[in-house]
Amino acid sequence: MIRYSLRRLILLVITLWLLSLLLFSLNYWYPGDPLTNMSGITANNTIAYQQAELARGFDHGLLSQYVHFLEHLIHGDWGISLVTEQPVFDEIKPLMGATLELGLLAMALALFLGIPLGVYAAIQQRGLLDRVIMGLSLSAYSIPVFWLAQLFILLFALKLNWSPISGQINPLYAINVQTGSVLVDILISDSPYKTAAFYNALHHLWVPVVVLAIMPLTMLIRIMRNSVLDVLQQNYIKAARARGLTDRHIMFRHTLPNALQPIVRQLGLQFSVLMTNIIITEVIFNWPGVGSWLVKSIYERDFPVIQAGLLVLASLILMVNVFVDVVHAWRYPQIRKEIDAE
Amino acid sequence: MLQRIAIICSAAVLAACGPVSEHAQVEQDGLIYCSEGNPESFNPQLGTSGTTVDATSAQIYDRLLDYDDKRQQFVPALARGWQALDNGTRYRFNLRTDVSFHHTNWFEPSRHFNADDVVFSFNRWLSQQHSYHYVNGGRYPFFRSSGLIRLIHSIERIDEYTVDIKLNQPDSSFLANLATDFAVILSEEYAQQLLRANHPEQIDRLPIGTGPFQFELFRKDFIIRYQRHENYWRQKPEIKRLVYVITPNANKRMLKLLTGECDVIPYPLVNELSKLDQNAEIEVGSSVSPNVSFWAFNTQRPPFDNVLVRQALAHAVNRPAIVQTIYDGNARLATGMLPETSWAYSSAEQTYPFDPAKARELLSAAGYPDGFSMTIWAMPVQRAYNPNAQRMAELMQADLARIGIDATIVSYEWNTFRQRLVEGQHDSVLIGWVADNADPDNFFRPVLSCAAARSGNNRAMWCNPEFDKLLVSAISESNVDQRKHLYQFIEDMVKQQAPLVPIANSLRYQAHRSDIEGVELPPYGGINFRYARRVNDDSL
Repeated sequence: MIRYSLRRLILLVITLWLLSLLLFSLNYWYPGDPLTNMSGITANNTIAYQQAELARGFDHGLLSQYVHFLEHLIHGDWGISLVTEQPVFDEIKPLMGATLELGLLAMALALFLGIPLGVYAAIQQRGLLDRVIMGLSLSAYSIPVFWLAQLFILLFALKLNWSPISGQINPLYAINVQTGSVLVDILISDSPYKTAAFYNALHHLWVPVVVLAIMPLTMLIRIMRNSVLDVLQQNYIKAARARGLTDRHIMFRHTLPNALQPIVRQLGLQFSVLMTNIIITEVIFNWPGVGSWLVKSIYERDFPVIQAGLLVLASLILMVNVFVDVVHAWRYPQIRKEIDAE
Repeated sequence: MLQRIAIICSAAVLAACGPVSEHAQVEQDGLIYCSEGNPESFNPQLGTSGTTVDATSAQIYDRLLDYDDKRQQFVPALARGWQALDNGTRYRFNLRTDVSFHHTNWFEPSRHFNADDVVFSFNRWLSQQHSYHYVNGGRYPFFRSSGLIRLIHSIERIDEYTVDIKLNQPDSSFLANLATDFAVILSEEYAQQLLRANHPEQIDRLPIGTGPFQFELFRKDFIIRYQRHENYWRQKPEIKRLVYVITPNANKRMLKLLTGECDVIPYPLVNELSKLDQNAEIEVGSSVSPNVSFWAFNTQRPPFDNVLVRQALAHAVNRPAIVQTIYDGNARLATGMLPETSWAYSSAEQTYPFDPAKARELLSAAGYPDGFSMTIWAMPVQRAYNPNAQRMAELMQADLARIGIDATIVSYEWNTFRQRLVEGQHDSVLIGWVADNADPDNFFRPVLSCAAARSGNNRAMWCNPEFDKLLVSAISESNVDQRKHLYQFIEDMVKQQAPLVPIANSLRYQAHRSDIEGVELPPYGGINFRYARRVNDDSL
């Protein structure tokens, strides 16, 4: 287990290193001055520019520039935005909170609904409800998220008036942004209208969360159904039946734990899909997260921000994947054997 | 299982309703304005962008005097009164004594507004030696292009509540310029405090003024938050909180108005106006906006330095069709730079008719029989004078293709866009001008003079000394008939030289929920929320 974890961690470090190399080279591939692209300091600001030149090793060769680049990256000194002239690292923290809030809630919703629905469909195999669930999940899977989001806005916001179109909360509540996750911010705020603010935030939150959850949800249902069906074919289930155990006992003690294995393996992949969709969803719902920030910075050619956005999203996806792999291998020892056998 | 889904769904709907009374209270006390873009800074002295003016001038700051467009006269504001002395070359302003600055987390004023604040605010843009002159750019495009910088000789503090402004020569537009949204008064005490803290640049980011609302927070691309200034020297505003939600997409603004997420929106889509008007929850307001949209050529770049080419291009585009498509009947085809509402307007046609054959002829005469390729820069935002520059550019692209010119459309984010225009990176640009005051001079000097070319506000980068001489003679003339005559000369010259092609004069629209009252849209200047209030449904 330790060997496996170490191997994964080393792989993670190597991938992150490659990512840093890519980001470093981007500064030279973008149009304009590499130092400005990296630090956000323009040559007009002579003194700061000269300081940055020294601090980032621009008086030496490429290698020293790269070493300094890494140093700055690790110390959280990611330069300043070309547009707002604010430190990028400080800007990204609340945005990260908003993105994580949306992503985690969507993932939780997908798991919470997906697993029971998948199991249910498997038990009812070829029954009416199985067909309905599988049919719906297939059609939902084929809807692109940008279209689904517009559709939901049209239906829930404009026709039914059940939800607002955009934002995290009605701005009149004047909740100060601290973590970026609006629910947490409300809880730690000293607003006199905490309860109302909380309801208002949920009111804003549910449509983007549902939109985001649908894609992983449909995948989870399908995987869960197939996996439960597989497990039910196994000899140990037959043996359990023969021993006269109740259906309930077989389901919770024997089927589910084994059927969850492909789900855990899929979580990393689903998370990557979710992060891609979250960028689109954030733009459509004006969600103040990393995704909409990244898209905006591309329009504005704000290179330090583009880099930071890429770095954060990419390393988040990498780390979640490695984490899921390790947990997966820890919970299901047979996987380790498969990998080691290669 | 279906039951469970039903329960979850209904829980979500229930959550949506929430504790209604608290929510109603929060809504009652506040107002949401969905603005069309990010302000460049929180000091209107530094720019001419309408978005910045809307977000700052009437909300955070006050001026020495205001212009009352109903009575068509200047009314006292921070100055209680003023006299013109020495044949109009010296103005004495008596200041109010009871005006307090904003109390915020970042600044606690220790004194009331006085003459030092006026002297500071003026000297910041007037004097290059001033310690704040070069802070945050050091360009004061309005003051440069309106000529105020050259007009004012000096400003002097006489006593704590009296200041004198000395002019180099008498000028009929001086008071009009002081009443514009740009001549705001900042706090001198705050500036000193920032200077000591070594952060002078904060003065335009965390603003302090005397206006009806005080700045609280700005999150780029999301919101600007203000709260009521509790010690405001005039009648306090009724709303306690004012929030600008930045919504650049015009469609989304309309939708958010419909769902009640916005109380007031600027620049509603012109072709949806009639539909909006039928909706009982929404009211559409319009005001005469003295504006003109135009297509300016970068006269510093070949081939646009050739007047024949410019004339050819002016002939090549079908302006009536463009105006019909883009404004949907809510604008008038421009007959010159001056709109119909200006007193110097004349009905004489001062533009070129649509004539592709003539355009080809002129192009051949200029030495480009096969045409050339060029860029049309189209604004990324909607303005009163141009609700959809991108679409307009597409229409022009088609017209230009007919005379063999291959045009590509270029656009950037609004602030980047303006910055690159100042640098002169464009071939031609679709933009426009909204007058800051009622004087016809304001349609020419800030837009086409050499001073405007230097300050970067002259989108045609056009500098013609003869034209400048005409402008000066028009401004020094005090006889109205004579002035009117001179402005016709000026219009003629703009037509002959064609540094730009005037396209349309339009109304400025704004739409709001019907329970909002008192949002002012003065013809000269930015939106004003001082009198805004929410009417209770019960009282209707």
